[in-house]
Amino acid sequence: MTSEVSGPSVDTVESLMKEAETLKIKLEEERQKLNDVTLASVAERLEIINYMNIKPRRTLKGHQAKVLCSDWSPDKRHIVSSSQDGKMIIWDAYTTNKEHAVTMPTTWVMACAYAPSGNLVACGGLDNKVTVYPLSLDEDVTLRKKTVGTHTSYMSCCIFPNSDQQILTGSGDSTCALWDVESGQLLQSFHGHSADVMTIDLAPSETGNTFVSGSCDKLVLIWDMRSGHCVQSFEGHESDVNSVKFHPSGDAVATGSDDSTCRLFDLRADKEVATYSKESIIFGVNSVDFSVSGRLLFSGYNDYTVNVWDTLKCVRVCLLYGHENRVSCLQVSPDGTALSTGSWDSTLRVWA
Amino acid sequence: MEPDKEKCHRPKAFDKMEGLVREMQDAENGVPVRSQKLFLTSIPSAFMGKSHQAHHRLHLGYDLIEWLMERLSIEESEALNLANQLCQYGYFFPVSDSKNLVVKDDSSLYRFQSPYYWPYANKAPDNIDYAVYLSKRSMRNKQRHALDDHELETLGNLRKNLANKWDFITIQAEEQVKLGKVLKKGEKIISDSQERAYWRIHRPPPGQISSLEQCPVPPRSRNGNRTKKRTVEDGKREVDILKASLSRTRVKVSQALESMVQYVETYSEYDPIISGTQPSNPWVSEDLTYWQLNSPLVEIPTEKRVKRWGLSMEELVSDPTGLQEFTNYLRKEYSHENIRFWMAVNDLRRSAQSQIQRKVNEIFEEFLAPGAPCEINIDGKTMERVHQEMRSPSRFTFDSAQDHVYTLLLKKDCYPRFIRSEHYKNLLAVGIQPTTKKRFFGFGQQKKKTSTSSAPNPALLQQQQQSSQPCGISTGALSKRRGSDRSLSGSAHELAVSGVRGGDNRVPHSHSQSNLSDIPYRGDLPGKSRTSTTAMTHSPVKKPGIAVTSGASTSEDVCPWEAHGPEPRSRKNSTQMDSGSSASDICVAVQVAAEVTDPKVKKAGHLPQQSTMDGGKSSRKLSAVCCIEPRRASVSVPIDRKIFEEVSKVPTPTPAPTPTPPVPNKSDVDNKSEEICRTFRKSLSVAGAANAPTISVSSATDDGDVLQEAGADVVDPKVDGAEDEKPMEERLSAAMVEEEEDEEQDHKRRTEPEVVISRLALAPLAEPDSESPISELPPEPNFLSEEAKSNDVCPWEDEETKCNVDGSFRKTYTTLGFL
Repeated sequence: MTSEVSGPSVDTVESLMKEAETLKIKLEEERQKLNDVTLASVAERLEIINYMNIKPRRTLKGHQAKVLCSDWSPDKRHIVSSSQDGKMIIWDAYTTNKEHAVTMPTTWVMACAYAPSGNLVACGGLDNKVTVYPLSLDEDVTLRKKTVGTHTSYMSCCIFPNSDQQILTGSGDSTCALWDVESGQLLQSFHGHSADVMTIDLAPSETGNTFVSGSCDKLVLIWDMRSGHCVQSFEGHESDVNSVKFHPSGDAVATGSDDSTCRLFDLRADKEVATYSKESIIFGVNSVDFSVSGRLLFSGYNDYTVNVWDTLKCVRVCLLYGHENRVSCLQVSPDGTALSTGSWDSTLRVWA
Repeated sequence: MEPDKEKCHRPKAFDKMEGLVREMQDAENGVPVRSQKLFLTSIPSAFMGKSHQAHHRLHLGYDLIEWLMERLSIEESEALNLANQLCQYGYFFPVSDSKNLVVKDDSSLYRFQSPYYWPYANKAPDNIDYAVYLSKRSMRNKQRHALDDHELETLGNLRKNLANKWDFITIQAEEQVKLGKVLKKGEKIISDSQERAYWRIHRPPPGQISSLEQCPVPPRSRNGNRTKKRTVEDGKREVDILKASLSRTRVKVSQALESMVQYVETYSEYDPIISGTQPSNPWVSEDLTYWQLNSPLVEIPTEKRVKRWGLSMEELVSDPTGLQEFTNYLRKEYSHENIRFWMAVNDLRRSAQSQIQRKVNEIFEEFLAPGAPCEINIDGKTMERVHQEMRSPSRFTFDSAQDHVYTLLLKKDCYPRFIRSEHYKNLLAVGIQPTTKKRFFGFGQQKKKTSTSSAPNPALLQQQQQSSQPCGISTGALSKRRGSDRSLSGSAHELAVSGVRGGDNRVPHSHSQSNLSDIPYRGDLPGKSRTSTTAMTHSPVKKPGIAVTSGASTSEDVCPWEAHGPEPRSRKNSTQMDSGSSASDICVAVQVAAEVTDPKVKKAGHLPQQSTMDGGKSSRKLSAVCCIEPRRASVSVPIDRKIFEEVSKVPTPTPAPTPTPPVPNKSDVDNKSEEICRTFRKSLSVAGAANAPTISVSSATDDGDVLQEAGADVVDPKVDGAEDEKPMEERLSAAMVEEEEDEEQDHKRRTEPEVVISRLALAPLAEPDSESPISELPPEPNFLSEEAKSNDVCPWEDEETKCNVDGSFRKTYTTLGFL
């Protein structure tokens, strides 16, 4: 249409796409120049991890439908979980007791999160909202609930960025947003994905101002929370990115995707440095998390299993069987002593 | 974009499953079809004639499993899981069980589904299709096609809901029944079963979850327009991001990965899943002690936790107890305004929006305004930025100032001072060392090394890397090094001190004294140790040479060093015996005691340690013991060397050094050696655990390298030594002088870690030349080579060994205690 284009002011989608393509090629060339070694070869000197004694230690039963999300409390023993039937349950995972059960006005509560203080939880899902519930044993938790933010599509993930006063969300409307809990004010929104945001994670640093997001556009983006700008992007996955997690060092992110692979992207090398896959693994990954040293990567799959990867040697260490349906969420406890998994079989399990 | 893709989102897994299923059905390489006889019992005979046709084939459960195992090189459990998945998705189904979609690893029969019925082959079926299917079945032979209860119910409901279309549905059903009659009987059976299996997947009986169920996402975003229409704005944004990425500075992959590996190695020790927890993992043992000891704010942190603070400032300030201790320390030093400012800004950043304005002003008034009560010291430029930002206060107003304070003041000044301070050392000393109560937990094969508390020195890192390859003989170098030290200083005593000092410098922290006590007992034979003592007292010169082989030294090059680390402290705490002779006397005494039985000795060694832990304060007595220990350790080393040959012949614990290394790698070493190792380990682990994350370790690494060279060919060391001799000597002598000046204050000295390391590393090399006891030289090489040989069998990697040792130590700790 604008065939006699002369300046950037009249860019068309097509011309921009073309420009993007050439830039991508150049970028790949630049990255390859510094690609001098593989992770497995660097890790050759390490000893193989050939023995793991991880067993199921607790089973949390109480949800009536698929467990969709869970999060550890900072106290290392409580867990919040949300499920398809609109319930959110606070567990003392150690004793397996339920301490609170909250019914949400929606089904498919796809995201829940514990605040750093342990006194607050947030959740949301198909209602497009993020709602916080202060926890107290004295009164009904739902009495003090507060809706903080609303997206234009389902909320897929949420996380408190080192503060009870803010909450970061990802949504099916392809954006992420940072909200002020008290006022419900939108502090910052993050545009850049071209499809549903499925997952977010914070950089581990205390003062960190960055987070990472994964999306159905197959991209992994790194964001500056302060400016709202995307500062780095990684591609490589061949399908939806369902889960992202920062390496404990803060210098890399691991991802899990529907393409049945997990990958490791290094922020400083600015490229993918490892793929964790096997021919026998053909189902999508729903959730990934690192052990506290970053040596192990746990990943939960649609084939009901949890695979444990040696992140450095890039081999699978072992398989955890137990769930009777898809493993939808998984998280290493804050002190690294245990792994929690949630599944469509409506149970949660704690492994150690 | 493609129309069919837009119709329904089809997960990648289906492509992979279909590929696999096609392979399984391959006539030649697919899952074998068993001879027809097998089927006779379970399949209607009329059907058998057709079995040569591909789609008539039946397969045995265990054939399916086996095929998958072979094809994908996986274990049975994984193959079984995968086969079940394929079954759940309807790619094959059990012939005799229409209810449960389960694959059993036995001789039950399975039939592949026709590709027509594969999931996503066509659009998902609707209720009309289902109604047609159900009506059709209801029209047919009641015996074979009777509907289940839930199906009957559904049919009733459908009839109600689709009343307006019911005529059409009935006609369709009749049509299909008619068509079916044309089929031959065998074909009919097959197509019936396939159709039934199809509906079993798409309309599962109540209570059963269909594996086809999609992720819980609104159809709008999931199916149709999954990818939004791209706008010019999106395009621009993408181009901008790409342009920014192009200009970004990136590091070499090798560099990035190396640092990642380093990081993981450093933290493996703190990873409960890899290294276990002390005393036990609450989830496993049902014992909450671990959590109690490690709650966010504790009176007395565990030693391991304190050690972790030494890894980096981030580790320190992210731990509430660490932050508290750090603040207390800085307060004592009258310089806590920086950390307070840093915390205040952190708090600001995390505050509710409504508080921002107020908090910004408060912070400014307290820390930045001219004449503020707690004014922080930042440069003019940063101050200018703050003033600019103050015009529009936000949670980020003080970021630049905070950054300045953090990197320039806290990280480069306060933190290193803290780590070197008595305060920190004290914390380390009194740190709780939980003992293992149960023998759970995985593998202790992770290395514990390489945590440099100060900025990692590239050279050092490199050394570490190199050394981390299994190098047979790390011990030798160490002992050599020590020897040289000694020879230079002229007295064993001094040597020990210098060693200590080195350790001190390198590793900001020392470990508890109790560790030391273990060392001597470890591998030394009572008799021998005595001898050594004597030798040491009388002929210091010889010691150096001897040092090379002692079991103790061999097994743990690191050990001695670490052992020394604490010395300064202990010396300080207790009255010290400054004279070498007194030390040696004591040593003798100890050794005599040690002469009893090994186990007993161990116990003895153990006890002081425990008491130390308990008390948190070292009594004089204890400290005295501790003091002795280090010295003794050094002493004992020589013995072995002297007697090295004897030792090696005798199957007593002394030879342990050699076997020790392997233990970590493989647990199958014989018990004896293991036992020894343990003892060893005890000392080591204690030492190791206590030890500062670092440098000491790296020094060990150096040793490894040096030794390797030495062991490989005798000539090498000399050459190296010649090269490095001078600087080394200089350094050494300098060190010596310093020591003499004030031994007591060693710990306060802040020699650059690197220097120390190099000094240490070089020392051994120089030894021959500088000291040049020719008689000594030859034995060493020999010894080394011998050792190397013995090590060939089970090469121990110095560092890994250490770690392992540590791990196993933990595991066996209790046992040892009660031996």
